[in-house]
Amino acid sequence: MNAIVKIENHDKQEIKFTTCYMCACRCGIKVTLEEDKVRFIQGNRNHPTNQGVLCAKGSAGIMKQYSAAKLRKPLLRKPGSERGDGEFVEIEWDEALEMLTERLGNIRATDPSKLAFFTGRDQMQALTGLWAQQFGTPNWAAHGGFCSVNMAAAGLYSIGFSFWEFGAPDWDYAKYFIMWGVAEDHSSNPIKIGLEKLKRHGGKFVSVNPVRTGYSAIADEWIPIKPGMDGLLALSVVHVLLSRELFDWEFLIRYTNCAWLVVDTPGQQGNGLFLRDEAGNPLVWDLEKKTFVNGLEKDIAPALFGDFVAPDGRPVRTVMSLTAERYLDDRYAPANVAEECGVPAETIERMALEMAHVAFKETVELDIEWTDSWGRKHDKVIGRPVAMYAMRGIAAHSNGFHACRAVHLIQMLLGALDGPGNFRARAPYPKPVPPHQLPENNLDVINAPNTPLSRTPLGFPMRPEDLVIDADGNPLRIDKAYSWEIPIASHGLMHMVITNATNHDPYAIDTLMLFMSNMAWNSTMNTKNVQDMLREKDPEEPGQHKIPFLVVVDAFHSEMVNFADLVLPDTTYLERYDTISLLDRPISEPDAAADAIRYPLIKLDRDVRPWQDVMVEMASRLKFPAFTNADGSRKFEDYKDFIVNYERSPGVGFLAGWRGKNGEKSLKGEPNPKQWEKYIENESFFAHHWPDSQKYNRFANKEYLDVAAEVGFVGKSEPIIMQVYSEPLQKFRLAGQGLYDGPQPNNQTDRERLAKYFDPLPLWYKPLEQARVDENEYPFFALTQRPMLMYHSWDSQNVWLRQILAQNYMYMNRGQAARMGLQDDDWIWVESHNGKIRCQMRTMEGTQENTVWTWNAIGKQGGAWGLKPNASEATKGFLLNHLISELLPAKQGERRITNSDPVTGQAAWFDLRVKITKAAPGEEGSWPEFPALKPLPWDDGKRPDTLRYSTRSDDKPSEQ
Amino acid sequence: MHPAFSVIFFTVSSGAGFGLFALLYLMDLFGLDGGLPIEQKLVAGILALVLVAAGLTSSMFHLANPKNAWRAFSRFRTSWLSREGVFAMAFYPFAIIYLGLTWLVLPELEVLRLAAGAVAALLAWITIFSTGMIYGCLKTIRQWNSPLVPANYLALGHFTGALLLLAVASNSEVVLTSYVTLVLALLVVAAALKAIYYFWIASPGTGSTIKTATGFTRGTVRLLDTGHTHGTFLTQEFGFQGARKFSLILKVCVFIAGFAIPALILTLGGSVAIAIYAAVLTAFLGMVAERWLFFAEARHVINLYHGAQHC
Amino acid sequence: MRLGLVIDLDVCVGCHACAIACKEWNASGTTAPLTDYQPYGAEPSGVWFNRIRSYEVGEYPNNKTINFPMSCMHCEDADCVTVCPTGASYKRAEDGIVLVDQNKCMGCNYCSWACPYGARELDRESGTMKKCTLCVDRIYDLQIPIEERQPACVLTCPAHARMFGDLDDPGSAVSSVVRERGGYQLMPELGYNPTNHYLPVRKAKPIPTENLGKPGFKDKIKGIANRIVKR
Repeated sequence: MNAIVKIENHDKQEIKFTTCYMCACRCGIKVTLEEDKVRFIQGNRNHPTNQGVLCAKGSAGIMKQYSAAKLRKPLLRKPGSERGDGEFVEIEWDEALEMLTERLGNIRATDPSKLAFFTGRDQMQALTGLWAQQFGTPNWAAHGGFCSVNMAAAGLYSIGFSFWEFGAPDWDYAKYFIMWGVAEDHSSNPIKIGLEKLKRHGGKFVSVNPVRTGYSAIADEWIPIKPGMDGLLALSVVHVLLSRELFDWEFLIRYTNCAWLVVDTPGQQGNGLFLRDEAGNPLVWDLEKKTFVNGLEKDIAPALFGDFVAPDGRPVRTVMSLTAERYLDDRYAPANVAEECGVPAETIERMALEMAHVAFKETVELDIEWTDSWGRKHDKVIGRPVAMYAMRGIAAHSNGFHACRAVHLIQMLLGALDGPGNFRARAPYPKPVPPHQLPENNLDVINAPNTPLSRTPLGFPMRPEDLVIDADGNPLRIDKAYSWEIPIASHGLMHMVITNATNHDPYAIDTLMLFMSNMAWNSTMNTKNVQDMLREKDPEEPGQHKIPFLVVVDAFHSEMVNFADLVLPDTTYLERYDTISLLDRPISEPDAAADAIRYPLIKLDRDVRPWQDVMVEMASRLKFPAFTNADGSRKFEDYKDFIVNYERSPGVGFLAGWRGKNGEKSLKGEPNPKQWEKYIENESFFAHHWPDSQKYNRFANKEYLDVAAEVGFVGKSEPIIMQVYSEPLQKFRLAGQGLYDGPQPNNQTDRERLAKYFDPLPLWYKPLEQARVDENEYPFFALTQRPMLMYHSWDSQNVWLRQILAQNYMYMNRGQAARMGLQDDDWIWVESHNGKIRCQMRTMEGTQENTVWTWNAIGKQGGAWGLKPNASEATKGFLLNHLISELLPAKQGERRITNSDPVTGQAAWFDLRVKITKAAPGEEGSWPEFPALKPLPWDDGKRPDTLRYSTRSDDKPSEQ
Repeated sequence: MHPAFSVIFFTVSSGAGFGLFALLYLMDLFGLDGGLPIEQKLVAGILALVLVAAGLTSSMFHLANPKNAWRAFSRFRTSWLSREGVFAMAFYPFAIIYLGLTWLVLPELEVLRLAAGAVAALLAWITIFSTGMIYGCLKTIRQWNSPLVPANYLALGHFTGALLLLAVASNSEVVLTSYVTLVLALLVVAAALKAIYYFWIASPGTGSTIKTATGFTRGTVRLLDTGHTHGTFLTQEFGFQGARKFSLILKVCVFIAGFAIPALILTLGGSVAIAIYAAVLTAFLGMVAERWLFFAEARHVINLYHGAQHC
Repeated sequence: MRLGLVIDLDVCVGCHACAIACKEWNASGTTAPLTDYQPYGAEPSGVWFNRIRSYEVGEYPNNKTINFPMSCMHCEDADCVTVCPTGASYKRAEDGIVLVDQNKCMGCNYCSWACPYGARELDRESGTMKKCTLCVDRIYDLQIPIEERQPACVLTCPAHARMFGDLDDPGSAVSSVVRERGGYQLMPELGYNPTNHYLPVRKAKPIPTENLGKPGFKDKIKGIANRIVKR
């Protein structure tokens, strides 16, 4: 007997395409709707990012849309209640916007720096940055400072593109792939698609990671490194490669600054800077002409190695000579780093040789004609098919900038960048090294009332003159980015904002506006104390908080919302217009420049507004010049209108597709009033596929660079020379050494840090916290990562996702646990220099023996995120954040210094060291405990015992 | 396996009921010790029907969607559960005819009475066997997948049935010796089979392991994550694992309460009604313990996927 | 025809995408809805057709983590069907898909006892047994674009670790990959003859490391003969 299965009725269904926002990958999604309810979310087969597939988060978007934690109306802290008590009254949007306009208007008319605007995991930094610039405050950044700035900065100061969004491995041709410290939630679908391709083609996948889960699970070789030692391992690989002359002479001479000459006059001004001609061009020694020539010229024969005497008598050496001397030192020999790295010397040696074998003996040659920047035609593209990728495991250490530079150094030595099988750039990258964009640092402009900044608050300093400091050397930004303490903080230091603002150091602010960032919980270090700081009153201004006004913009009831004075409720990603812009964090792939949109698929059922629209509205009310016509009237009706008509430079706007009056132009062209419609017709994304001749070696690919210059990706079409040796770093180091012909720091600590950490060549040093705590007392490294199925704090509210993971455990190597008398499900105390927590543990094989780790952001404050106060996320889940201080352990004679990479200000989450003891019998449940958040005004706090979500309308589906 | 009360009660009760009926019929047919008076036959017969009915009703509580219970008779050809239901239902008309005719005492219909009784007794045996086979046929549970299981069910059903028959008989004037002997004989068989069963399940199985379950044949295989933080249907239904020590204590109880005490009472106390009732009570306590263990000690192979090395 | 899945353990990263896509499709599918219990409460749980477990094989540092998705194997000798007393469970003759007729199921759980793979889960609210349908309502839906007529889990798998096809047809992609990669069945000793197959972890071929330069470049640097490279 076979029944006939009834196929569903599609009559009331509609299919729409938009862009996912369940994480930062921004995949294309195809959404089936049935009477304004979401029936099905699947990957868009045509989308360059995900090619039809979709991860757990993406499919679980339905449960995000119907989350019980959604905010419903603007909220004002209840008059008379204390901040953090979570008592709110509902107010109307008009009232909220008027209140904010008045407050911000006053700040802007007096001291614009008193507004700090920081944003979390948003994908609209081009807009928020423009908004801050137009407001006139330097105090803006997104979350990059505690996420990935080490990767971004290391890449952009070395190779012109970087790990994460500015490049991707070439999965089609790679034969050897090394993944350094990549947490399993990162770049979700693209990496999974790629790893499968790589393995199917027979490529080898090596994972360097203290934990073997997620991507590392399927690695052909797992290298369980000790946290923070990646840079040392990479430099040891460099040692092996150099010691056997395994490097790509052509690549280094043509495309890097390895042949450039460095002035070698230790202790003198100008030491370590490039030898340059009068026009400022770097000089090299021409082996044929036997003289110094402009290193940027065509048809020269630069010496890669050598010591020379400059015409002015100063000794000079090539960058490569310095490099070889540095890394051929026995310090970097595998046998001498094995113990520190926790990786056997043979393994290091073999890794290096395997890479070299694949790079030099399994070369890929494609019959693609291309022209280099010097006009030479090539009939082939050569690929050295070693690809690499790196992320948080390297980034989140205070030595991460240099560790990442060390990885780039390997790539440069192998000539394995932007060729077939390499790590390849994604438009609009590569850019000049570093990109020509300086942070606003003109004090007059910054202090001027009602005046926009002349350029964006963030950029890439080239020299001490570019720092954002006052005449006395004090920071001008609330997060102290671009100060002597953190000179190259290209993404800001969001993790310092609350601490600095509370300490009025360097100054007091008036309003802190946070968008989509859970700074009162999992997105901050030192959570419990930060909550106290948010509550702290100013003794000098009775009744006022240290941070006087706190505006929180979010779509959901997060722990941060609980501390707001004013809550502006945002929509979900299925309810609004949005752009994923090339001006921002691009979704391009190596083979195509791409951008995308979102548009409302579902009608709003509550009184919330898209933050984009609110920003345009505020900008108009506050009469920001870019948002106001000459007659004072508003320029843009709303966000949608803004996106179509705003031009950053003529022909360049937020969206690159279907520009020109009739939508006939790509990448550049005048505004097209029907641009949104064109995107919607085209499945909500735009992709400009590069012709074969523009796909590779784009740092010196003339055809590509011509286009890139034309559409504004780069200033002009000229080769992008990779910087093995970073002169900007050396300039800061000279300032630290008192040898710089320009601004220099007064403070001894700053001087020492600059001298030590601003090494122009990649460097390894012990992570700063680890160097300050007693390793015998705190024997374990402690880390977190996000699981593949969740993204930061957002997904515990998701009914489906939380069934998979509703409690985190502290994972420890099984053998190690046995030696300590610990076993699965024991409750343990974990203690750092900053505090202690109690949590439950599990054992596993796949954890490096000196490391413990847990899932991040599973622990929740009771009552947050729409959960019941007894949810296991609140009673058994925990945060490691309590143990991590935003400041380094105090040191005598030194002011408190941020717990960050000293070069970039990247939050050093993973430098943490802890000790572990078994909890006493009866000590159970996670600790510290927090009181449950109060329900919001519209919420009776009741939650159903069952959920039976379905759009199936032909009831009782079944068979006959 | 999760020891659900409804199923424990069902199997113990209906097993005793069917055993009682079958023995009643045999006693009647062969006129054991001159046979029971009609009243006692009727009491025993009705008791059997009530026990069976109570058991079947109890099993209904085990169903999540009882409105479809009537459909359970439809898969007679393949399903032991369906067969059990069908045989149990088929048992009733014959048993009622037999008891009715016993009550009416119609000599001209004696052949019919005995024939109906024979069919009912046969159905009773088949039904107990089917109940055993419900469990015995499952390849997924090593502790059940054995002829010992239906054999145990038959032996225990008859032993408890015989006890009840003895209890009923003790209310009449009949000589109880042969009833007592019957009980003791069945007790020995049942206890022996149960002991064999316990020895058999205690020996490590040669069947499925975490390696055959996953196909990972090299090296130790350990569970890292179940994929769901809290319980699922699978862990609730199959994850039950009683403490080993508790199981051992309970096994001792099974033998003491279920077999040793009744045997002792019957050998010493003989035919005093109150003693016999005490034997019935303690035997049934033992049976409940036995049935609880029957479920609690059964390890479904799904547990291999949840980290058990073998089942 | 014998439709089923082939799961490649060499590339499954354990991301749960298939499990959620399954939940999402089937929440409104033929056996909709799939109840969730305590969705916001202390211990959330619910009805799922596809669960992903992770195992560790071997010991540190030579351990391997293997992620292991499991759903109905659509067995050739499906005891769950044999033991079902009501006829609610059935195996389709035309394609081998094992289904549960929700109108007939009485919720006795017996089929789940007979299933070694944990494929069946009771929905306490409907009182019926639910399970993977191999997205029978997708794969035969002529209104869905032909390339999407696949189970939701297969469609979504980011690592392409799941393949769907006819295991009876020796020429099908799934049959070939099972042959080439040594695909295997779980617990073959039980004799259920499951249709779904698992592809074992691949062994990467060793990369030669001989004849790669000579150590001692350090000593050569001083007197190095620079190579002429034009740029």
